[in-house]
Amino acid sequence: MTATDPVLTVDSGSRRAELVRLFLQPIAALLLVAAVLLWAFNTELDAIEVVTLNASTLLKATWEHVLITIAVTVLVVVVAIPLGIVLTRPWAKAVVPVFLGIATIGQAAPAIGVIVLYFLFTEQEGLWAAAIPLAFVSLLPVLRNTMVGIQQVDPSLVDAGRGIGLSAFGVLRRVELPLAVPLILAGLRTSLVLAVGTATLALFVNGGGLGFIIDTGYRVARTTVLLTGATLTVGLALLVDWLGALAERYLGPKGLR
Amino acid sequence: MTLWEFVVDRWPRLAVEAYQHASVVIQCTLVAAVIGVLVGVAVYRSPIGSIAATALASMVLTIPSFALLGLLIPLVGLGVAPTVTALVLYALLPIVRNTIVGLGGVDPAVTDAARGIGMNRVAVLGRVELRLAWPAILAGMRVSTQMLMGIAAIAAYAKGPGLGTEIFSGLNRAGAANATNQALAGTIGIVVMALAIDALYLIIARLTTSRGIRG
Repeated sequence: MTATDPVLTVDSGSRRAELVRLFLQPIAALLLVAAVLLWAFNTELDAIEVVTLNASTLLKATWEHVLITIAVTVLVVVVAIPLGIVLTRPWAKAVVPVFLGIATIGQAAPAIGVIVLYFLFTEQEGLWAAAIPLAFVSLLPVLRNTMVGIQQVDPSLVDAGRGIGLSAFGVLRRVELPLAVPLILAGLRTSLVLAVGTATLALFVNGGGLGFIIDTGYRVARTTVLLTGATLTVGLALLVDWLGALAERYLGPKGLR
Repeated sequence: MTLWEFVVDRWPRLAVEAYQHASVVIQCTLVAAVIGVLVGVAVYRSPIGSIAATALASMVLTIPSFALLGLLIPLVGLGVAPTVTALVLYALLPIVRNTIVGLGGVDPAVTDAARGIGMNRVAVLGRVELRLAWPAILAGMRVSTQMLMGIAAIAAYAKGPGLGTEIFSGLNRAGAANATNQALAGTIGIVVMALAIDALYLIIARLTTSRGIRG
């Protein structure tokens, strides 16, 4: 991929900036969360604020948010990586534009619209009613990077693999996929960030999460609740992106690092 | 009422919302492009400046839009102000990053040659470096616009303008007549506009890229 490819990534585009983020981001996230919690719990809270601003409600919302993020990520991985592999097989060439078209529409669609429509059509609520539409919206980075990752493998390496007696599946498993892993992980990080961000919208289908705290703060017009919910969400998103960055850095094949 | 009948029936209002949606996204992309290119030009020669600018902008991009709206509502109120602030902030990273990458990718021999034929620093930047970096900058703007189309829909929560209004209204009226049609019209409208603007970018790229580096 080059700088002129119009692809959404959360990478800063510079190795050194990524290194700085690797150290500073978790610290920034923890400081932010600690500061807002200290502030919120040291303020005189009125009866309305206490309903939301207590440890158990905040922990429950955070845990729900993490669960939705995990569910979306699992769905994305389970669907996008196998689909990406299938679409790079020579016999699947004819259907590639169809699937890429659907995934591109998924990325162009507003997350709030997709989640609301899924709810209106299925009338389901809760975790999966949020996770399924959000997975559709967050799919493209992993799908695209899986395909590009496999396509960019030097054909002579595939030939060499076949030459030493590997089957087509053996070449895929032992040559093409390992070489595609760095790009797949980069796509996964972008999908993770999309997932943790759009999981805030789960509240609209009664899926809970930290969006619920923000919405409560807005509805009852309490800035303390609003700011606490928003800051916790920011902290969680920074941590999740940091985990994605760690995975990108340390889970790739050793020979390519 | 079918979706088609609904769209025909509500066309005047939908058209205004669609126009507002596209308008706020395009204007915010342009504002972010001016700020982003200025920041990029200011820092691209300094390694520390580049690191600070890209690291900061990419951390802003990871902030969930719903949370950023939550932070902005107490600061700037409801309506256009939080929408524009949030959209410009999100549009910055792809543009800043691509400006720095694009300017950094200019062959030093080319800038040397430009200095050699007597161009001053400003002329080298304006007539050589920025023109060579332009495809990368435009690609950044394209990614930003795509992203903003979806985020602008969420901004309707903070009473922002655009088609997001239809989506939230459809959600709040779930079960009532035309609730699904409202959400469908809002969502499909945004997708269609996003794809149309994306196609427009291809034409703009073709028309504005210097002839020598056109692929």
